[in-house]
Amino acid sequence: MSAVALLLRKDLTVLRRSPLLLAALLAYPIVIALLVGLVAGYASSKPRVAWVDEDNVPAVVQVAGHRFHVQTIINEVSSNVTLVRMSADEAARELSSGKVVATITVPSGFVGTLETAARSPSLVLRTGKGALASRVTQQVQALVYQLNRQLQGVFIKANLVFVQLLLHGGKGSFLGRQFTVLGLDGTERLLAGMPPGKRVRAIRDFVRDARIGLAQTGTALKATAHPILLRQPKDKGRSWVLSAQVQSYGIALTVTFLALLLAAGAAAAERDEGTVGRLRRGLVSFGQLVWSKVALAAVVGVALGAGIAVVFGIVVELGGVTGGEPWGRIPLLLVGVALAAAVVGAAGALLGALAREARTASLLAVLVVLPVVFLGLVPRDALAFAYWVSEALPFAHAVRWFGAALYDASPWRTLGEQTAWLLGIGGVLWGLARLSMRRLAA
Amino acid sequence: MTQTLLRATGVARRYGDVEALAPTDFELAEGEAVALVGPNGAGKSTLLAILAGAIEASEGVVDARASIGWVPQRPAHYARLSARENLELFARLEGVRDATAAAARLLERFSLPREERPSGELSVGNRQRLNVALSLLAEPRVLLLDEPTASLDPGQRRRVWEVVNALRSDGGAACFATQNLEEVEHADRVLVLEDGRLVSTSVEEVFE
Repeated sequence: MSAVALLLRKDLTVLRRSPLLLAALLAYPIVIALLVGLVAGYASSKPRVAWVDEDNVPAVVQVAGHRFHVQTIINEVSSNVTLVRMSADEAARELSSGKVVATITVPSGFVGTLETAARSPSLVLRTGKGALASRVTQQVQALVYQLNRQLQGVFIKANLVFVQLLLHGGKGSFLGRQFTVLGLDGTERLLAGMPPGKRVRAIRDFVRDARIGLAQTGTALKATAHPILLRQPKDKGRSWVLSAQVQSYGIALTVTFLALLLAAGAAAAERDEGTVGRLRRGLVSFGQLVWSKVALAAVVGVALGAGIAVVFGIVVELGGVTGGEPWGRIPLLLVGVALAAAVVGAAGALLGALAREARTASLLAVLVVLPVVFLGLVPRDALAFAYWVSEALPFAHAVRWFGAALYDASPWRTLGEQTAWLLGIGGVLWGLARLSMRRLAA
Repeated sequence: MTQTLLRATGVARRYGDVEALAPTDFELAEGEAVALVGPNGAGKSTLLAILAGAIEASEGVVDARASIGWVPQRPAHYARLSARENLELFARLEGVRDATAAAARLLERFSLPREERPSGELSVGNRQRLNVALSLLAEPRVLLLDEPTASLDPGQRRRVWEVVNALRSDGGAACFATQNLEEVEHADRVLVLEDGRLVSTSVEEVFE
């Protein structure tokens, strides 16, 4: 058996004989993963947005002959934000203090303009400059889109009334002014009483063409308002807790936490126990010492990753969730877990060598792992700097690896890219750990 | 003519600006026992660790012409493994052909507990005996011992000197660090270290 395998077996034996440590190492990252998931799920669902009504919008607004209950509509369309009514001053204060992430102002004259059904009134959106600004803008755009959808139906109906007037004639009103329209029907009746001739025939042809054209107006208006309709069949989809992304994050977070702490502690423990000097006497090279900690992280990471994937899969299957758990992809997932855990293990060995003492190494590992994980959770469009920093760390690449391995129809390109990243980062960390091992022997 | 088993030329060790060991020459011939004496921080442990290959010298060369066993001052073994498991692990790392038999032999020789109790739970004396036993796994011809009897009772100390004497009579050699001047009687030569420098080679000066 090689020196690396002997040290790995020793470390696994030591770990097995420390049940309290093992339980804490397993439970702690899982609890952290759940908490992060809860916070992320809450944060992404309901940003608080101020609603400033400078027009004193009445409870019921009448547009094109239809009555709208304003609060009911707002409740229906604001599923992605929590709208809080407040004054303009209060909204400005809360926006500057960050208590609300945006303000939507209904300016004076809004309802009057809307009721004309002839011009588009404006809502005014103000956002902070924080990382959430772009996401809130998208959510408010979605809110306005939903409002527009409701109003479009009413406006189309109102416009069709005018089309019917043009077709059949009758009395109508616009902007409060009453008028009478002859209509195409009336025109045909008039033409029937006139002596036939070239001009009368030309007018009759126009009336026929206009009737055909106007008959299509209703469909055309609807198609113009909604070029693409989104249908959402009722289905038993995945809740966010069971989503592919959460599973990827959960496994990555747990494995990162465990691998870093374990490798850091195991490396520093060689010095605590005084064995590094004994090993250095030609028995084990510094490189082999690092490899043994990398292997320890990979082996324990795979065992833990498999456990989480199986538990997650059972929950998904019991819940009858659409798509189910991709059981056939679990072996592929575990390849990624081994790779990611090994890379994190190299980082752990580096920390252990720098700390030179197991307790310090464990504390250092906890201090390092949290920012590494949280940087990996920051979306690219939220904070570009954090995104690029996380690109140089293994966590974000592990998440992408796991997600692609489990759920992508053609994962190989993503897996290739992320493997290259992980190997590159791992190589650098391994080299640094190998150099730092001299500190353990000093 | 006696053969030199271990020779060091100008070996030194620095930690940043601190000189733990000034350039020092050292030689150990077969059948010989050398005592290193000096106060705490004199450089005894550093010299032995460099000779054993446990730490690198900042400068100088060590020429080892025989296998070396090293007994560090602080017992160096895995506290959560039993004495047997420690012996078997290091025997395998040393490349001993029958690691199980070698471990059993040393357990017997040093009266170490055979039960699977973690070695970290053993008495101080037992841990030190395990420390000595680990150094003998590869059956070395040269033994380097860093204050090997510091935490042993008289009976156990006697057993350590028996190991040293047996090695010498078999053509091996030993170098030991000690602060107990009575133990100098087990040595043929004495090297006195102070502030990282070799200051004397006279037994008489030591006693003075």
